[in-house]
Amino acid sequence: MKKQISLLFFLLAAGTFATVTGQDLSPKEIVRLADEKFNGEKTSTSLMAMTIVRPTWERTIEFKNWTSGKEYALTLITAPAKEKGQTFLKRQNEMWNWNPTISRLIKLPPSMMSQGWMGSDYTNDDILKESSVVNDYDHEIVGEEEINGRLCYKIKMVAKENAAVIWGHQIRWIDKKDFLFLKSELYDEDGYLVRTETGMDIKNMDGRVIPTRIELVPADEEGQKTVIEIKQIEFNKPINDSFFSQQNMKRVR
Amino acid sequence: MNNLKMAWRNLWRNRRRTLITSASVLFAVFFALFFRSLQLGSYDHMFKNAIESYTGYIQVQQKDYWDEKIVDNTFAYDRQLEQQLLADKNVEAAIPRFESFALASNGPQTKGVLVLGIDPEKENHLSKVSEKMVRYRLDAESISKIGQDPEIPDKVKELARLFEDNAYTNSSRLQLDLGISDKDAPVIMPSIESFTSFENGYIKMGEPGVLVGDKLSQYLQLGIGDTIVLIGQGYHASTAAGKYEIKGIVKIPLPDIDNKIVYLPLDICQGLYNAEGNLTSLALDVVDNRDKAIDETMARIDKIVTGDKRVMGWREMNEVMVSQMDADNKSGMIMIAILYLVIAFGVFGTVLMLTAERKREFGVLVAIGMQKKKLASVMTAEMLLIGLIGMLSGALVATVIILYGVGHPIIFKGSMAKMFEDYGMEPMMAFLGINTYFLWQIFIVALMVLLSIVYPLSKIFKMKVVNALRA
Repeated sequence: MKKQISLLFFLLAAGTFATVTGQDLSPKEIVRLADEKFNGEKTSTSLMAMTIVRPTWERTIEFKNWTSGKEYALTLITAPAKEKGQTFLKRQNEMWNWNPTISRLIKLPPSMMSQGWMGSDYTNDDILKESSVVNDYDHEIVGEEEINGRLCYKIKMVAKENAAVIWGHQIRWIDKKDFLFLKSELYDEDGYLVRTETGMDIKNMDGRVIPTRIELVPADEEGQKTVIEIKQIEFNKPINDSFFSQQNMKRVR
Repeated sequence: MNNLKMAWRNLWRNRRRTLITSASVLFAVFFALFFRSLQLGSYDHMFKNAIESYTGYIQVQQKDYWDEKIVDNTFAYDRQLEQQLLADKNVEAAIPRFESFALASNGPQTKGVLVLGIDPEKENHLSKVSEKMVRYRLDAESISKIGQDPEIPDKVKELARLFEDNAYTNSSRLQLDLGISDKDAPVIMPSIESFTSFENGYIKMGEPGVLVGDKLSQYLQLGIGDTIVLIGQGYHASTAAGKYEIKGIVKIPLPDIDNKIVYLPLDICQGLYNAEGNLTSLALDVVDNRDKAIDETMARIDKIVTGDKRVMGWREMNEVMVSQMDADNKSGMIMIAILYLVIAFGVFGTVLMLTAERKREFGVLVAIGMQKKKLASVMTAEMLLIGLIGMLSGALVATVIILYGVGHPIIFKGSMAKMFEDYGMEPMMAFLGINTYFLWQIFIVALMVLLSIVYPLSKIFKMKVVNALRA
């Protein structure tokens, strides 16, 4: 879900900063620009489909997603039928799950943080993680590369020593024109590649140019990936903070 | 022949000495056999319990299931394969199962549980779940009723309090725990049975409902008619969540399983995990459960089971238990080795004494012209006879007791039983019938006797007649 959020932001980033030229920006500034919508933009309402691909099977989950700033997010599963009606609520660094079949509201315990969200390659922790790509890393431009015909900054981000982050370093490719995260490689503390995220199918949605398809490929799992497609998205439609409540988890449609 | 005759007469010349020596051999044989039988019998019982209440002797599974027990590693319930398996002469029944884990919860209580989807009727071939339904329970209410009944002795009331919250699948175990003798049973038991009787239900294919283990039901504070919530991961990473009415409480003799088992009707369980039509295993009940017959059956079935499925035997499936038993068996052997050592010294001690006592006698015999060789062979015959008497009588006593014990395992009652249950064991010790271990024990004791002969023989050959005469 974090993915969705970050995705969202980078969509926002794209829109907001499309006109800024990156020539004279520091690497930290570039990342900040690409990331700023995290805190800068207000809300989003979206309809997404997540496809979990495994060597022998694949499965698609559709959901609606509401976010407000970095703090709040609410997700409602709309398909498949068996799971329809489940909701997830993120408030600051807590996450809750409502399951209508058993009428239970469950707070996800720390032990579940490393598990995949809805069986995907996104962990619950990915969704909740509070670290900042701006403040918790040291940035350095290591080159310029083309990703799908778009010229990108290649920025290496090394985690600061006492930052509470799970990655050792990241390499991100940020579109020079629209400030889109087009590709990210995430490495663990020992310098091994853990996953690659790629943004593609760049489209104009609700007036912004954004990648509408994100692929997450875990490095050590052959034949596995998770694909998120944004089917519909609206920005800055006012949402009251009280929308992100446990009561609403049971009501929202 | 003369030697033997002389040896025989020598034996009865000093009856007491002979009896003491053969008695030490008798005890050696008896204790070795007794403990061995008890130990091996208990293993046998535990294996049977584990196998018959859970894994079955042989299972057909999806090939990756054993290494990674997830719902994705299941196979389609194939009726054609089932027919082929049932056609095997040693296969009595094929029992479909769907097994997985889930979190079970009731209010604030949550526990990881083993979810077992079963065909309630077919399961009667193997784990016999229907026989494990709780029929009596010593809950607070029934204990207070027992406490108020003037006809029930105080001793029984005290034991009832000790066993508070225990559940029983039959009245004989209840009778034992309460320390009621068979003589008193007809008078007291009917009222105790009525005080403690427990209304229980069963599950049916197609009807949502669960059976839960007695210990689990106590942990989750759930009773008949209450709702249990199960949540886990289903087929292809879907969410498996459901709430079910508790139809019945079962008591599984293995406490480790009793505190985490939840039975669902097979089809309901498949629905919960979004894996309609799939099985995690097809457990086979066999006609002949001896190791050899099972190995042969497995070899035959291996040819039928192809594709993504595999055959597994009970040894492989109960690996942990097999190795635990092995370790325990080793420690049992060490105990027996110590027992043998003590007894070997006992036998040797009597032989030593016997040799010292008869030093003068030996001297006289040699002095009047008996060859040392002949004397030695008479002595050997004597010792062998003593050994034989001891071994035969020991084996006889042990056989009688063991044969009785096979039909009447030692069942602990009262507080002793409580202690066993607290350790997670069934409060009983079973005997193993006459088997190859008999020969081994007898062989070892015979070896002991032979070794102790060496001493008197060397004494005889080294003997200086002059010195011996003065002894």
